[in-house]
Amino acid sequence: MKIAFIGQPNAGKSTIFNGLAGYKTVTANFPGQTVHYTVSNVTVGEETFEIVDLPGIYSLTAIDKAELESRKFILSGKADVVINVIDASTLSRSLELTIQLAELQVPMVICLNMIDEAKRKGLEINLKKLSEVFDVPVIETIANKGIGLSKIFTSAKEAFYKNKIPKIQHFHKDIEEKIEEIEKIIPSKLLPNIPRRYIAIKLLEGDAELFEDLRDYKELILKINEIRDEIKSSHGRHADTVISSERHALTMNIFEEVTKVGEPIKSAREKLDDLLTNRFLGYPLLFSILFGIFFLVFEVGKLLEEPLVHIFDSLIKRLPEYISENTLTFYIIKGLLEGFAGGLGVAIPYLIPFFIGLTILEDVGYLPRMAFLMDTIMHRIGLHGKSVLPFIISYGCNVPGVMATRILESPRDRFITAALSVFIPCAARTTVIFGLVGAFIGGIAAAGLYILNLLVIMTMGAILTRFIPEITPGLIMEIPPLRIPTLKNVFMKTWLRLKDFTVVAWPLLVLSSIILSFLEFLNLDSVLNQIFKPLVSWILGLPEQTGITLIFGILRKELSMIMLFQALDTTNIGQLMTKTQIIVFTIFTIFYLPCIGTLGVLIREIGIKKAMLVTILTITVAVFLSVLSRLILETVF
Amino acid sequence: MKTLINIENGKKVKILKISGGKGIRQHLQCLGIHIGDVVTLKKSSFLGGPVLLEINGYDIALGKGIASKIEVEEIE
Repeated sequence: MKIAFIGQPNAGKSTIFNGLAGYKTVTANFPGQTVHYTVSNVTVGEETFEIVDLPGIYSLTAIDKAELESRKFILSGKADVVINVIDASTLSRSLELTIQLAELQVPMVICLNMIDEAKRKGLEINLKKLSEVFDVPVIETIANKGIGLSKIFTSAKEAFYKNKIPKIQHFHKDIEEKIEEIEKIIPSKLLPNIPRRYIAIKLLEGDAELFEDLRDYKELILKINEIRDEIKSSHGRHADTVISSERHALTMNIFEEVTKVGEPIKSAREKLDDLLTNRFLGYPLLFSILFGIFFLVFEVGKLLEEPLVHIFDSLIKRLPEYISENTLTFYIIKGLLEGFAGGLGVAIPYLIPFFIGLTILEDVGYLPRMAFLMDTIMHRIGLHGKSVLPFIISYGCNVPGVMATRILESPRDRFITAALSVFIPCAARTTVIFGLVGAFIGGIAAAGLYILNLLVIMTMGAILTRFIPEITPGLIMEIPPLRIPTLKNVFMKTWLRLKDFTVVAWPLLVLSSIILSFLEFLNLDSVLNQIFKPLVSWILGLPEQTGITLIFGILRKELSMIMLFQALDTTNIGQLMTKTQIIVFTIFTIFYLPCIGTLGVLIREIGIKKAMLVTILTITVAVFLSVLSRLILETVF
Repeated sequence: MKTLINIENGKKVKILKISGGKGIRQHLQCLGIHIGDVVTLKKSSFLGGPVLLEINGYDIALGKGIASKIEVEEIE
C-alpha cells in the first residue's frame, strides 16, 4: 500500500514521516523545507507500507518548483491512500487544500497535527463532525512528541479497505453549472486517470500547465475562455478569484461548523516573537545570535581539535620508528593517517557544534524571522527576504543551500540566489578559515574574512541584478510560530548531517591523502606543481607545493588544508608560510570553484550552461581577490 | 485609498481590493488572504521593509511592493 503525506508547508509531514520511518529526512520550522520527496518502506505486523513524504503545497495551484513536484506526484495516481496532514492551528486555511484533494477522489485520511498548538490558540475541533463532512477518518497527532502516530497506519488501512473516498464539497449553483459545462467538453485523452471535475475547476482557474496540455485543442481553449469571461462579467471578478472565494467560503463554513473558537492563551512566546522581529532590537539580536554561534563553533571546535590533532601528529612523527622511510608502505600509511586525522581532528570538531547551532535555529523557527528582518537589505541586491534561507543553509553546506532555492518563485531569483550561494563559506571552507587563518593568525582575522565574503556577495548580487533586471513579486511568506526544539530532533538531525560527512567526504579525504602520498613517493607531485606554478607562485605568490592542494580542494574544500599540511609536511603552517600567504591561500580556497558536489547540484538546478557561467565567475573572483589581497597585504606587512 | 503600508501597528483592517497580476493574486489566495478578509497588522512597514499580518491566527509577511497593492479599510 502506497501512502502519500500531503499537506501545506510546515504542517509537520516530515516530522510524522521521520516518526514512522526512522530518521530519514531533514525537518525544520520553516515553510518549504522539503524540496524533493522521500520514500520509505515500513512494515507493521504483516503488512508493508510504502510511505512518501512530499514537499508542502498550499494549494493544488502550484506556485513554486517544490509545489509542482508534489502536484505531479499526486496527479500521477501512484498513491493508494492520501494522508492530508493539517496544522490544526491553521485549520481554516488548510481545509482549502483538503477541498481540492477531495476532488481527486482518492481514499483519504485527515490528520490534524499540532493539536496542542491549536488548543493554545483556543481552537476546539470536533473530529466526528469533520469526519462526517468529508466522510473520511480523522485523527489527531502531536508529531514532535510522537503522540498519535500509531493511529496513522490503522486509519490508512481503514480508508483503503473501506474505500473512503472523500465527499465533494459543492460550490454555488451557477459555478457548478459552469463546471459541468466544461466537464462535458474535456477530451477523454487528457489526463485519463484524473477526475473530470478537478480538471474543469483548474481550467476555470486558468491553470497554465493544463492549458499547455490543451494547446492542440484550439476551439476548446476558446470555449473555456468564453466561460471564464461569462463568470467575470456576472461576478465582477476574475474567474480564478471567484473560484478561490467560493472555496474560501466553503472552508469557512466547514471551519465554523466543526470548531469552537475560545480565548487564545497568551504566553511568553508571543512576547519573545515580538522582540525578535522588533524593528530596532531585531537587528542587534540577529547579529548577536549569528556571531554567538560562530564564536561558539570556533571555541568548542578549537577545544576538541587541539588534543585530537596532537595525538595523530605524534603518531605520524613516530612512524619512522616502525616502518622504514622511503618505502611505498610508509607513504601509504602516512597518507592514510593524515587523511584520517584531517577528518577527525579538523573537520568534525567544527562541524558538530555548527550543525547543532543551525538545527536549533531552524527548529525554533528563527530563519523565517531572519528573512523578514533582512527583506529590506536583500532588496538592495535585487532579491527579497526569502533568499536568506538558502544563504543560511549554505553556511552548513552549499548542496542543500542550492537546493533550497526551489522555495523561490521566479527563475531569475533562483538563478541569482543559487549563484551567490556557492560563494558562501560552507562548513568545509569554515574549517579552512578556522584551521588556517583562525589558528595561525587569529579569530579577528577569521571574522574579517567572513565580512569580506559578505561584502563580495552583496557586490556580486548588485552586479548580477544589473544584468538581469526584473521586478520580482517580492516577499510573500508564512511566519510559523516559535517552537521549542526537541532534544531528540536536534540530535538526530545533527547526526544525519554528520553522517553525510563521514560516509561521503571522509573516505574521500583519506583516499585523496593516500593518492597524494603515492604521488609524492613517485615524485609526481612536483610535476603537477610545475604545471600550476604560473598561477600559484607567480600570480598568487604561494609556495609551489600548494598547487596540488588546490586541485584536491575541488573534491572537497577542506582537503586543500589537509593536503597543505601534508604537502608542506607539517601541521605548523606558520613556520613555512607568511601571514600574507596564509590569507591569500584561504581567500583563494573560499572563492574558487564550488566543490564537485555543489557543481553537480548546481547543474541539476539551473542547467549546465548557467552552472558553467557560475564556475567561471567563481574562478575570476577568486583570482581577482587573491591578487588584490596579496598586493594590499604585502604593502602593509 | 489606503493600502497595507499606510496602516499603523495593531490596527484591524478589511481587505477591499488586491491589484496586481494573476500570479500575486493566486499566491495570496493560497496563503488564505482573500478580498473581504479581516486581518490585523502586527508590524507595519518600516524604512521600506515588509509588513507582518495576522490572519485567522497565523502570521504572513508581505514585502512592501505587494503590501502596497492591497487596498484596505480600517475597522474598529
